[in-house]
Amino acid sequence: MLASARTGASLALRARPTLQLAPFRAAVAMSSSSRKDAASPHGGAVLPHGGYGVPNRERKEVPLASQEGTKGLVQYALTTLDIITNWGRQSSLWPMTFGLACCAVEMMHLSTPRYDQDRLGIIFRASPRQSDVMIVAGTLTNKMAPALRQVYDQMPEPRWVISMGSCANGGGYYHYSYSVVRGCDRVVPVDVYVPGCPPTSEALMYGIFQLQRKMRNTKITRMWYRK
Amino acid sequence: MSTLSRTLGNLRKIGLKEYWHQLNYIGDTKAGTLVGIDKFGNKFYENNVDELPLRTRWVDYAKHDFDAAHIEPLWHSWISYAIDTPPTQDPIVQQTANRHWASQEHIPNRTFSRAAFKTYNTTKPKIEAWKPFAAPR
Repeated sequence: MLASARTGASLALRARPTLQLAPFRAAVAMSSSSRKDAASPHGGAVLPHGGYGVPNRERKEVPLASQEGTKGLVQYALTTLDIITNWGRQSSLWPMTFGLACCAVEMMHLSTPRYDQDRLGIIFRASPRQSDVMIVAGTLTNKMAPALRQVYDQMPEPRWVISMGSCANGGGYYHYSYSVVRGCDRVVPVDVYVPGCPPTSEALMYGIFQLQRKMRNTKITRMWYRK
Repeated sequence: MSTLSRTLGNLRKIGLKEYWHQLNYIGDTKAGTLVGIDKFGNKFYENNVDELPLRTRWVDYAKHDFDAAHIEPLWHSWISYAIDTPPTQDPIVQQTANRHWASQEHIPNRTFSRAAFKTYNTTKPKIEAWKPFAAPR
């Protein structure tokens, strides 16, 4: 019963991209119905463990922050301010290298002439005090985790984290190891996950572009004004 | 090389409007031939004479909030110098055009939108509640 619903949901998620919302909604409906089925035999009191913890509540459609339009003169002025700030942020992105394993080799390739990160204003810094973004490249072990958190805490605001490779994303190959953190997002908040084992330099560069896109859409003064 | 004479020469070729547009998106002034436009409306340019190696092909994205994943796979291989001729003319691409197993439409990266990927559980729940059951006598 559950398995069939789940395959249906996953199929709906993989459905054609032309209908943006419809498959997503369908998947949500399916998963919620399956949840109901799972809960009904024992009166809905006990929810099975693992991914079923969210209570079955009504789905509310709220526009994302990026989908809200600009209203009023002040917001237009602040938008321009934000654009200038974001331009400055994204065009001098100084990463703190946290090379932990083989992903670091690909990260080094990004700085070599073929991909040439310097043309994008990306310069590796050895000090967390001077860096904006931390690239966690490789397996994060339990022993290294406090050091990672300390380095992250030493970075000045605004700061971002790119998790690079399967091991940093979710433990990867070493997920069931006794000594490995199952994803660096258990220790630091991650902005961009770059998949791959290891991701190519192009993939990391694409991840950096995604981070720049995220910065472009950040509402700094607009959120301050809203408060 | 972004010299003043090159910038001015390209500016004379492309015009002020295109110059401003390129400055906002590429950050450089480039003049080249329009090689093709893909389904999304991205424009692909090439200039093999004046530009340095690996800078001879470039794209003008259709959307303001551009993303490298807006480029279709075949055009991606062209712009990454994997094939010499653009996919509209490439003979191997023409031969392999009708692959029934390949999706006909390119799916862009849906990150930062509602359709972004979210993980979901595929494993069996670890805790199963006891179901009261009495065998018929």
